Amino acid sequence: MATIDFEGTQVPFEDGDTIASALYRHGVRTFNRSLKYHRRRGLYCGTGDCPNCMVSVDGEPGARSCVTEARDGQVVERGTGWPSPDRDLIGITDKLHWAMPVGFYYKAFVKPRFAWETAERIIRRATGIGRLPLDATPAVKRARSAHTDVLVIGAGPAGLEAARAAAAAGADVIVAEEREVGWTFPPGRELDALRRLADQVRALPNVELREGHTAIGVYEGPTVPLVAEDALVEVEAGRVIVATGAVEAHGVFPGNDLPGVWLGRGAALMAARHGLGIGDRIVVAAETEEGLMHAATLRAAGSQVILLAPTALAERALAGVQVLRDARVLEATGSKHVTGVIVETPEGRKRIVCHALVLSLGWAPRDALLRMGEDLPVEGVGDVVAPVGDPPLGDGGYVCLCEDVGVHELEIAWAEGWTSSEILKRYTTATMGPCQGALCGLHLAAFAAARTDQVAVKGRRTTARPPVRGPRLEDLAGGVHEVIERRTSLHDRHVALGARMDRSGAWMRPGTYGDVAEEIRAVRERVGTMDVGTLGKFLVAGRDAQTLLDRVFPTRLHDLAPGRARYLIALDEGGYVMDDGLICALRDGRYYVTSTSGGADRMEAGLRNWADRWDLHVHLVNQTAELGAINVAGPGARELLGRLSDDDLSRAAIPYPGHAEIMVAGVACRAIAVGFVGELSYELHHPRSRGPELWDALLGAGADLGVAPHGLDALDVLRLEKGHFFLAQDTLPDDHPAKLGLGWAVDMDKPWFVGKASLERMAEIPLERRLVGLRFDGEPQRGMPLEAAGQIVGRVTSCARSEALGAAIGLGWLRARNGGWPTTLRAGATTATVVDRPFYDPEGVRLRG
Amino acid sequence: MAELTRPGLSVVLCGASPDALDALVPPGHGARTCRTAPDEALSVCPAEVAADVARELEDRVAALDDDAVVLDVSDGWTAWRLTGPDSRDAFAYASRLALPDEGFVQGSVAHVAAKVVVEADALTVLVPAYWHDHVRERLIHDARVTEAIP
Repeated sequence: MATIDFEGTQVPFEDGDTIASALYRHGVRTFNRSLKYHRRRGLYCGTGDCPNCMVSVDGEPGARSCVTEARDGQVVERGTGWPSPDRDLIGITDKLHWAMPVGFYYKAFVKPRFAWETAERIIRRATGIGRLPLDATPAVKRARSAHTDVLVIGAGPAGLEAARAAAAAGADVIVAEEREVGWTFPPGRELDALRRLADQVRALPNVELREGHTAIGVYEGPTVPLVAEDALVEVEAGRVIVATGAVEAHGVFPGNDLPGVWLGRGAALMAARHGLGIGDRIVVAAETEEGLMHAATLRAAGSQVILLAPTALAERALAGVQVLRDARVLEATGSKHVTGVIVETPEGRKRIVCHALVLSLGWAPRDALLRMGEDLPVEGVGDVVAPVGDPPLGDGGYVCLCEDVGVHELEIAWAEGWTSSEILKRYTTATMGPCQGALCGLHLAAFAAARTDQVAVKGRRTTARPPVRGPRLEDLAGGVHEVIERRTSLHDRHVALGARMDRSGAWMRPGTYGDVAEEIRAVRERVGTMDVGTLGKFLVAGRDAQTLLDRVFPTRLHDLAPGRARYLIALDEGGYVMDDGLICALRDGRYYVTSTSGGADRMEAGLRNWADRWDLHVHLVNQTAELGAINVAGPGARELLGRLSDDDLSRAAIPYPGHAEIMVAGVACRAIAVGFVGELSYELHHPRSRGPELWDALLGAGADLGVAPHGLDALDVLRLEKGHFFLAQDTLPDDHPAKLGLGWAVDMDKPWFVGKASLERMAEIPLERRLVGLRFDGEPQRGMPLEAAGQIVGRVTSCARSEALGAAIGLGWLRARNGGWPTTLRAGATTATVVDRPFYDPEGVRLRG
Repeated sequence: MAELTRPGLSVVLCGASPDALDALVPPGHGARTCRTAPDEALSVCPAEVAADVARELEDRVAALDDDAVVLDVSDGWTAWRLTGPDSRDAFAYASRLALPDEGFVQGSVAHVAAKVVVEADALTVLVPAYWHDHVRERLIHDARVTEAIP
């Protein structure tokens, strides 16, 4: 026989059993201990709406056992109580209400300062609904989308009728049902009728009935995420119909949380579906028609039923049911379980001995989804919008079962000045537990309404927010993939060469191929190659291309002849440096612009923005994906390219800085003479698809020249030796060109460019900070503060030991001091001397080749 | 069942004024021309006719806008083709885009910017080439399509 492992005991179960019904049959009555006072909690709603039956299943806490199907081999534990929920020593807290009034943790443990730290650890261990399996393998759920004209949430009678009507009007309809159709109905004619209706709806060609799909929120769109077993389904619907029905109203009176107090549907399901009587003698408090049905169901299951009902209902009670007309429950009594009920009748108070108390006192609409969609095309049908009376709120008992908040706690909070449902909620945490106010939200609003005349506060429900129905974290993360890698066409080549691939912004780039020093030496002494295909690359064409670039960039453009290139910085309107790159003048009035790898998207957005604002006729083509780029640098660069190209590679043909269209190893390249690493260099921009063959040809043809690829680590040193900064690493968001020593790259004689007005204003203000070159007599670290005369005047932004220079060098920020610039600084234990940049080949002889 | 293949497609970009593109007669040769922006259209076509498509586009757009640009930008795009009876269902695991019966949509696929050419029996997903591996992995993992090995 199939069994579940319940805290070490093999508990058999029958077909159709839930975990709760199997355990109940086994004799379990205490399913849980409450959050704060560790009171016994037993089965209550039976429909997955309350927190009482939550257990850990296979190590995962928070499963509502009343709606979780029992499966062979499941390991089920109750996550609360010490040493066990049946004999819980922490239950002593139930006697200490006076010591733990509502909000006590805001007031207690304030002094000494370490007190809260200790108390918090103890409180956290003593409370909660179980332990998260922190060593479990994270699951990644798939997400899928669906589009429909109408989404109906809930496949009860109202939802199915709404779906049928929408379908008849020609709409495509999805019906989402949390479990199987009719799961809250006990066997009988109503369930049979509902199943017939479901079959008819299912047969409609434009209706899709999805069982096992739980709606957890309503978002803009409206978009509704549905949690299913294998995926998170995001439904975008033209219209949403909420037909989630209502749960029977939570009764609030002293003893209302004792095991043995049931909501009617839970008791009826247990008796009719699982064949389990909930007691020989049962009191049913009914103020609804359905309450009469529950009484009949329980009686049919063999229990003696005493019905408390208004006269109008009582007259329709089944024969054989003992009736107390116009009686109401004042209190449930018992210690571990209900043993009696005190009722008020027209004749006075009575105590009724019983084994269970069943409540059918009214309705609490499951309207959280409806309230989330207030400003969206979301409507309700059926019980979710049926009028409800005042919730049954007595003088004592627990309002919020999840958070252990009773009427008394609410009264204390109100007296302390928390006088609206919203702040009562925040102070007491009522409605903030797993059921999210499904049972107690109306009570909280009614409590506030009874105590104030303020229109804005009176009877107001707290705001409904997703998620509802307690999804798993893996549900919420469905379809999310944090890592989206951009790869160049040479990615596989780098991996094959053993490169350590680093994440650099959105790109994967080689950090090193194993020996950084050797990679640097290759560039300085022989020839090196680097994949720079990550650079932003743009073609700017159209009759207004030059006008756009001339207005956007501070660079002088009017004399940039085809075949020439120029360093480029991009400023924002504030005159601050946003990006840098190169601009190459092509034929026919076109330009080719490069940006940093991380700045490409922003560069494109900026250029498009300005072109639109000025209504210029410009075609901007982002070629970042289309073109790869390989930088060939070093004294042997020209010889290497000469072996693979018949084109003229001299400085006359490709001036510095300049460019030419050449063929290399049969691949059409735009060769750009640049100088970022300070050697004779050619950036070969080429069609992406030809990248691997070009790379192979370069490494193959240059083997005897000692060609070697290098990664970002080597680049970091090579550019530093030339005194070049890395944007964002060495710069700050409020750097204007002068602070970076880039005044030469700005043509202030131009009539206008983005940021010019700001630069003119800032030019009148003395420079208070600038980026400087540093030479160290020891080994500094990046980020070290720079000190002068005992005061911090800056920090190191980049540093490295340069083999070529035989010294440690760096860049750093330096503040003016007493109207001057300190020249000798301390950086930790080392002395830093401010020196001119570049450190390496200051005349630029090598890069000019 | 949905199958993933890499069709040999080319992409020809036409940049021109919105008025010119409004009036442009799309090229033939089996190309599908998609208006991706007011001033931009992409013609997706079999690789072997890309030159013909580009030439035809140049001729036609030149008469409408003397400052227009036509470029073969095929290297900038990776095209993935989803075929099979479940291709639309599989696509729904990778994107929230609503698909027309036939035509063209653009938006997010596997969380990256994409263009989707929709035919009765197939979907062609175009993404910038640097996301080639990412989109392939997501389609195989999330959409559970079977990759056809050529």
